[in-house]
Amino acid sequence: MATLMAPNQGMLQEGAREEKGENARMASFVGAVAMADLVKSTLGPKGMDKILQSMGRGHEVTVTNDGATILKSVYVDNPAAKVLQDISKVQDDEVGDGTTSVVVLAGELLREAEQLVGQKVHPMTIIAGFREAEAVAKAELTAAAFSNAEHPEAFRNDLLNIARTTLSSKILTADKDHFAELAVDAITRLKGSGNLEAIHIIKKAGGALKDSFLDEGFILDKKIGVGQPKRITDAKVLIANTPMDTDKIKIYGARVRVDSMAKVGEIEAAEKNKMREKCQKIIDHGINCFINRQLIYNFPEEIFADAGVMSIEHADFDGIERLALVLGGEIASTFEHPGEVKLGSCKLIEETMIGEDKLIHFSGVALGEACTIVLRGASSHILEEADRSLHDALCVLGETVKEPRVLYGGGWPEMRMARAIEEAAKKTPGKKSLAMEAFARALRQLPTTIADNAGLDSADIVATLRAAHGADPGASRMGVDMIAGAAGDMRELGIYESFKVKQQVLLSATEAAEMILRVDDIIRCAPRQRSG
Amino acid sequence: MAATRKAKNETFRDTTKKKDVREANIEAAKAVADAVRTSLGPRGMDKMVAAANGEVIITNDGATILNKMTVTHPAAKMLVELAKSQDVVAGDGTTSVVVICGALLKKAQELLERGIHPTVISDSFNTAANKACEILESIAIPVNLEDKESLIRAANTSLSSKVVSQHSSFMSPMAVDAVLRVMDPQHANLLDLRDIRVVCKVGGTIDDSELVAGCVFDQKAAKSAGGPTRVEKAKIGLIQFHVSPPKSDIENTVVISDYAQMDRVYKEERNYILGMVKKIKASGCNVLLIQKSILRDAVTDLSLHYLAKAKIMVVRDVEREDIEFISKTLGCLPIAHIDSMRPEKLATADLVEEVDCGKGKVVKVTGIAAQGRTATVLLRGSNKLVLEEAERSLHDALCVIRCLVQKRFLITGGASPEVEVGYQLSKWSKTLRGMEAYCVRAFAEALEVVPYTLAENAGLNPIQIVTELRNLHADGNGAYYGINVKKGSVTDMREEKVVQPLLVTSSALTLATECVRMILKIDDIVPVR
Repeated sequence: MATLMAPNQGMLQEGAREEKGENARMASFVGAVAMADLVKSTLGPKGMDKILQSMGRGHEVTVTNDGATILKSVYVDNPAAKVLQDISKVQDDEVGDGTTSVVVLAGELLREAEQLVGQKVHPMTIIAGFREAEAVAKAELTAAAFSNAEHPEAFRNDLLNIARTTLSSKILTADKDHFAELAVDAITRLKGSGNLEAIHIIKKAGGALKDSFLDEGFILDKKIGVGQPKRITDAKVLIANTPMDTDKIKIYGARVRVDSMAKVGEIEAAEKNKMREKCQKIIDHGINCFINRQLIYNFPEEIFADAGVMSIEHADFDGIERLALVLGGEIASTFEHPGEVKLGSCKLIEETMIGEDKLIHFSGVALGEACTIVLRGASSHILEEADRSLHDALCVLGETVKEPRVLYGGGWPEMRMARAIEEAAKKTPGKKSLAMEAFARALRQLPTTIADNAGLDSADIVATLRAAHGADPGASRMGVDMIAGAAGDMRELGIYESFKVKQQVLLSATEAAEMILRVDDIIRCAPRQRSG
Repeated sequence: MAATRKAKNETFRDTTKKKDVREANIEAAKAVADAVRTSLGPRGMDKMVAAANGEVIITNDGATILNKMTVTHPAAKMLVELAKSQDVVAGDGTTSVVVICGALLKKAQELLERGIHPTVISDSFNTAANKACEILESIAIPVNLEDKESLIRAANTSLSSKVVSQHSSFMSPMAVDAVLRVMDPQHANLLDLRDIRVVCKVGGTIDDSELVAGCVFDQKAAKSAGGPTRVEKAKIGLIQFHVSPPKSDIENTVVISDYAQMDRVYKEERNYILGMVKKIKASGCNVLLIQKSILRDAVTDLSLHYLAKAKIMVVRDVEREDIEFISKTLGCLPIAHIDSMRPEKLATADLVEEVDCGKGKVVKVTGIAAQGRTATVLLRGSNKLVLEEAERSLHDALCVIRCLVQKRFLITGGASPEVEVGYQLSKWSKTLRGMEAYCVRAFAEALEVVPYTLAENAGLNPIQIVTELRNLHADGNGAYYGINVKKGSVTDMREEKVVQPLLVTSSALTLATECVRMILKIDDIVPVR
């Protein structure tokens, strides 16, 4: 290292380091491959979970199978590993699923590239080969995709299959039919708008996972004020963010000087009157339910109770924004012009009980597609993980509703792409073909990993799959059948994946691999000096 | 560098680390289970937990022990969570659920050693747990809520393992009465235990505890100024405003420039309070419940004096959280401003009085005219530790009855359901094939930990008892045979009247399985920020 650094002495600041050429490339490969290996064991229906133990205060524990969550949380110091972290994050934002696949594929591509570099193939040639392979794979993927968007029945079935496939690798796998129905019902309610905001997920400890249910409308985890109606039909709701404890004059240091106690009493009475006026203004909106983000103190609460208005205090930020969306109202903070404030409305507000807690249920809401999924589970770990899994499924389904093309799962698209690339490689002259073949090998690593994780004989299964695809190109529907532990017909097993997710995996992984491959120099800036 | 060379195109993956992690997790979880094992059953022992701040708790309740134990291992934490969720779902059986979980993990470890893939074990355990629930339902006895006798018996079983077991004949009916009182016939499935308030007072013995027909306040009446402590035909006002000199929200200063003014300020203050007291009196109110306030004095000595003169009894420092309960119980509305002090917002009760209760005093409200569906239990105990344990035990008993309200089935106790499920499962496993059959059998064997531990804790010969039970259950007509701890033998639990709600056992099984499955699936612990 010291010899490498020598020419740069004096150019870089003290403490900064530089790695060059072969070393730099090696460092990137090692980092990326290690990252991929970290999440590799979570891939597929028989993938394992990881405990994420926080090193910070509290030593909080998360148990997860979600690649994005794992990668997001681990602390890495390797620049290439950071790149992989980023692509998994992008994958999560873009399509919500396939976060593990994308990292594993990128890792495998780099592993193959590393060998090629060892065989003295120039990285640029490798990149050119990868690009060509990617183009072929993309074309093949598009050709393989099919859509049932015209037949609602069949499409719903597709969605169910996709949901089941996504959930099968998660904690929800035991009740995947139940949750697939839940997720598809929730998505179909959205009627193609894909606005996942309208799906509210509430987690309540207790009960078993299969006690989770979908409820139309919205559930708010708050309490109704004392002495107020607990049930309102045809509710007109004013959603507000306004201080209801006291209307304090918020000028620092403001104070009054009086010379008698009676005057203090007058001020107090004036303050009370101000509050009363404010409440009256709110009631004058013609509402029968008032929801505030902030506290509603005793006094206004009583005024509302007297007027027969239901008031709900302390609805938090997230809750209130969603509520405004769902009820079709606006969040108000001044009440001078009743005509200008858009009120929310719903058919019925009532208290329900879930587990040990009382919650407020809004049904028949203005935004008809809105719904709430109530998750139940043994512990907070399970609930958190169930939430993440369901979120993934909802994201994928949301994407599929927008882009209705689907593919078979279980390594089927990878096998098809690999075969197509190999065909193309045969016709490609030059060293590029080596890279293309390597790309095909990397793709086949995905079914291999899935089989490996299940403790199956991956070599045998992948060879069988390759033979099946080779014998009947374009028509074979063979993929890895996890239950039987052999190759199986994916259509019969109902293992479907979203086209969008697969395509995104392919593109992001290739791009990331290419980016890392191009690196020949890593410069680390000097760490900032900390005094003390 | 060397590492990467090795990693090249290597298909064989080194799995030693993963095995170690899983092993360590299982060991940690088992250690937790072992810690609470000895407190299972009627002859189970108590644990003394010394908290870091020097506080001591003596308890037999699994959830409490685990909650107070400071565990750091992530897998051990999951068991603590498990006990908590059993507490939420069923309220009882928190020890059993942890013990079952430990036993299942032990079996899983054996299966892992034989090279069975963790996901296979996990899936098989799931099917086994589902089957177990079916079996439990098939041996369950339906119960009618009118049948108070069986409710009391179920509460008895739950209390039998606690410190207060000798008082169970007295506490169980109390718990049942309390639940039946708060139950709304229209929504019989929804039972909110928060409608039952438990007030603990040191002094006396547990026998002195009672279910109060009305409401009890932990506070004593404020009588520094000699106000009444007993009011008949009470008109109760629940107020959220303050009977004290005015204080505005905006900062104020009273500027006094000469001596005469000072006098005037005093006089005005008096007049102000007198005016308030007159208004209160005018509404007909003679008992005031005043909400605690942090911003200013809810009452001052002066106002107490005037209130006493007006023969108004005062109970102060009522917490804001309790307002809803109180207004529900008394059938009154909270009053937040002196101007809304109207007679229709007051509650009527025959008698409000302060009674001696050990060292302290409590205020009792009885004969409430429009009482809501709430209940108050006044718990007494000779010392704080006993009292706290009694409260936990009462909570368990209440939960047991709530379980019965939610799912109206009883099963017999004394480990009979576990043995029966174990027997039926192992019979069923013979009809299965492959690894699943093997795992289901292991699941069935793991369930024997309950009778085994129960017998062990009772000082019986566990092997003899368990085998005897097995024989009886295998006979086909002994599904209700269990361990009679009192007699130290195996008897029919129906005759012994040892019963428990179905929900307790079924949720213990499903929750324990869910937790085991989660632990099994973990193959790595990743430190994160």
